[in-house]
Amino acid sequence: MNMPLTMLWTLPLLGAAVCALLGSRAKYAALVFSAAFVGATGMVCWLQSSDAALSALNEAGPSLAYGISYRLYADSLSMGLIGLTAFLTLVCVVASWELDVSAGYWACFMALASALTGVFLARDLFFFYVFWEATLIPMFFIIGLWGSSNRMHAAVKFFLFTFSGSVFMLLALLALVSAHHRATGVWTWDLAVLDASTLGAAAPLVFWGLVLGFAVKIPMIPLHTWLPDAHTEAPAAGSVMLAGVMLKMGVYGLLRIALPLFPVISWEALPVLGVLAGASTIYGALCAMAQTDLKRMIAYSSIAHLGFCLLGVLSRTSQGLVGGTLQLVNHGLTTGALFLMVGFMYERSHKRGLSDFGDLASRAPYLAFFFGFSTLASIGLPGLNGFVGEFMALSGALAALPILAFMGVLGVTLAAAYALPAFQAVFWAPAGPGSVSEKVTDLNLRERALLWTLSGLMLWIGLAPKPWLAWFEPALRGLVR
Amino acid sequence: MIMMPLASQAVLATGVIGTLSLGLMRRPPALALRAVAFIAVSCAMLFATWTPADAFVSPILLCDSKTIGWLYLIGLGSLPLALWLDGRDDVSSALFLGATLGMSLLAAAANLPMLFIALEFMSLPAYLLVARSRNSGRTLEAAIKYFFAGGVAGALFMLGLAMYYADTHSLSASIVLSPLGQAGATLMAAAALFKLGAFPLNWWLPDVYDAAAPEVSGYLSTAMKSAAVLFLMRLCELAPEARFAAYLPAVGALTAVTGSIMALRQERLQRLFAYSSIANAGLLIIGVGAWALSGRSAEGVSSILFFLGAYAFMSNGTFAFIKYSGLETRAQLKGRGAAMPAAAAAFTILLFSLGGIPPTGGFIAKLLLLWRAVDASLAWPAALGALSALISLAYYLGMTRELWFDGVETPAPPPGRGAPIVIACAVGVVLLGAAPWLMASLGGLPK
Repeated sequence: MNMPLTMLWTLPLLGAAVCALLGSRAKYAALVFSAAFVGATGMVCWLQSSDAALSALNEAGPSLAYGISYRLYADSLSMGLIGLTAFLTLVCVVASWELDVSAGYWACFMALASALTGVFLARDLFFFYVFWEATLIPMFFIIGLWGSSNRMHAAVKFFLFTFSGSVFMLLALLALVSAHHRATGVWTWDLAVLDASTLGAAAPLVFWGLVLGFAVKIPMIPLHTWLPDAHTEAPAAGSVMLAGVMLKMGVYGLLRIALPLFPVISWEALPVLGVLAGASTIYGALCAMAQTDLKRMIAYSSIAHLGFCLLGVLSRTSQGLVGGTLQLVNHGLTTGALFLMVGFMYERSHKRGLSDFGDLASRAPYLAFFFGFSTLASIGLPGLNGFVGEFMALSGALAALPILAFMGVLGVTLAAAYALPAFQAVFWAPAGPGSVSEKVTDLNLRERALLWTLSGLMLWIGLAPKPWLAWFEPALRGLVR
Repeated sequence: MIMMPLASQAVLATGVIGTLSLGLMRRPPALALRAVAFIAVSCAMLFATWTPADAFVSPILLCDSKTIGWLYLIGLGSLPLALWLDGRDDVSSALFLGATLGMSLLAAAANLPMLFIALEFMSLPAYLLVARSRNSGRTLEAAIKYFFAGGVAGALFMLGLAMYYADTHSLSASIVLSPLGQAGATLMAAAALFKLGAFPLNWWLPDVYDAAAPEVSGYLSTAMKSAAVLFLMRLCELAPEARFAAYLPAVGALTAVTGSIMALRQERLQRLFAYSSIANAGLLIIGVGAWALSGRSAEGVSSILFFLGAYAFMSNGTFAFIKYSGLETRAQLKGRGAAMPAAAAAFTILLFSLGGIPPTGGFIAKLLLLWRAVDASLAWPAALGALSALISLAYYLGMTRELWFDGVETPAPPPGRGAPIVIACAVGVVLLGAAPWLMASLGGLPK
């Protein structure tokens, strides 16, 4: 097949259709298709790495109307994030294996994987927007149908919030395309052709319209309020996909669209955007500290982690860009693992409050080991993946605007201040009177296998980050200021 | 194959005569009545395909590309009602075909008096159709309200036409406009806005759409609304210097925002969709304004055409779901998804499409209209139109939530017949979203 990129996003979509048709045996189809998706992604990555410069793959179709055409583009940044999507989708399918859910659950996850892949592949901005919004529909149903008690409110809030941001993004894209047509007489939505200098005085407005759409998704304070609800109420696998991949769409949008199109305006906006990103790391950590619900705490920690990614990316230095991007993958692995484990605990005990557990380390040693390992990775212990990304992002921020690095360092300190006490309360402190710890049996073989894989990757990136950094570097080189 | 011009109108007129003749029989055959209505409407669409554009122009009637496009739209909006019609009621069949004939005449009207005649021709049967559609006092009251609103619109138009004629001594396209002529053109436009349900001339609309039978509301909100949009566009063409066009985007933005805000708190489904149709009419008025203000391009026409085409599926589909399911309120919607999965899934797709979420036809439709506005430098109306779409998502998502996520609370009647119509509309919306080029190629969008 000579359209490898088209295959990448249609394969999971086909999987969704097969899952929906199979009914009660849908989970087998989901497993087969998500494994095939991982394989296909690996193949395309291999295809790409056969060229030493990791040059981008392209696919293009004819212009349909108004210059809209089916164009796909995959450089190492796209493929890295698609790899994360494929891997986490497979993790989610395996993690949900024993849940009693209908075929729709599996179909939604496959459809979500397809839409996310499309976002990372699209070069035509029209298709980018369509895929971007299409991710909302499966996630809306995943939260609303299979979430916990307050799921319906969370599903609607999630959809409305993120959609509101993207509507402004759409208006900005329309203005960009129209301005290009007025200046050149050519209709095009091709990211490689569009030129923001045709916008003239409207350029800052369009830039901020785009940023608004991306900032809601990331989320950057003060646009983050949908996140704690959505992440807390979603089923465990849904939280993994939300935190692991969907938040990355916002940063990807900055890297792919906003920064390349508006190199000057985005640099001038650094004091505002950078301070908001730095404030996100501090505010997210402070909020996480105040939580009594384990899942909600991890949700707030995501806001803080994405703040680090942003600090690195916005610094526009080589180490900041690569570190911030690597941190996207790191956060997907560590937070994904933490959400999975909270999900396993919730399946067993139907509780997830910090005070509902105690002394779990003696009852469930594997769980304690993996939880501790992921917590340490998440707070940036040297030798594990979080350290590499945070260190590089912060050094980039220091070179760009020192105050940002200071805010980031404060965020790192605060991360230890919420994560370690939480670990202590759940795993080491003596069980309180209302404790449900006795219901929490240790991880079974399937769950252990998942977490061994995730932890292995965390350790690998922590000890030998070089191949990972070298993978992302070529795609980001052009953004260095 | 090339048809003579006005073949579509002729076949509809034959349909009216046919149904009335069938009604003369003591016991008209039910199947024959339904068949006549369905065949007349589908032939009208089919003949439009074979009619060459711009081959026929007379002072009174013409047949240009808009005529043909709107004949499709009117047929698309009317077909579902043709399927729902009660086979024993010959009068309603004749009224339905009569109103459709009026719309098709409006599509071909070339001067102002003919526009007026066509307006009345499509409106008068519609009042009676509403009155007969349900056997309740509330429906009669709504029909009378509808009649009065229509009467006011007609009177405004006549007054405006008189003033326009006094100024220009012309009943068709004319250039120079004094303040008297300007006022006349504005009054005529007000009549069109009345019919479209523009703010603040839309107090009658929710009552009518709520009290009429759902399938009739679907017909009014699609076929009738399409005709009213063309009515406004023809006015813009016939009075190109008129100043009212400059105010259309603002009127449209207000209509869109107020419509979606009012829909937020509605409990009755038909009333909610009535306000939703007001919000959509607002977007259309923004689109017509953008088209009139930026040189009346063919692209503007195709965008409006696409919107109306997609909306014909969405609105007819939602009202068909109300008819099929027998549900009246949002509370009854709760937890009903499992009882009728196929129709409820189709309804959900229609809701997402109405909310403008890709990949559906509703998204492309909203995108094209808002884009025309952005392109015509109407930033504020475009932003308000987008805001209206956002607000509307609250109730479209809310209904999805009630249908699928909530548990059953209130008892509801078992579903009736007609699920295929809902499903067909959903399929149409998905096709328009996945391959909008199918329809866009008809309208000749630039590459």
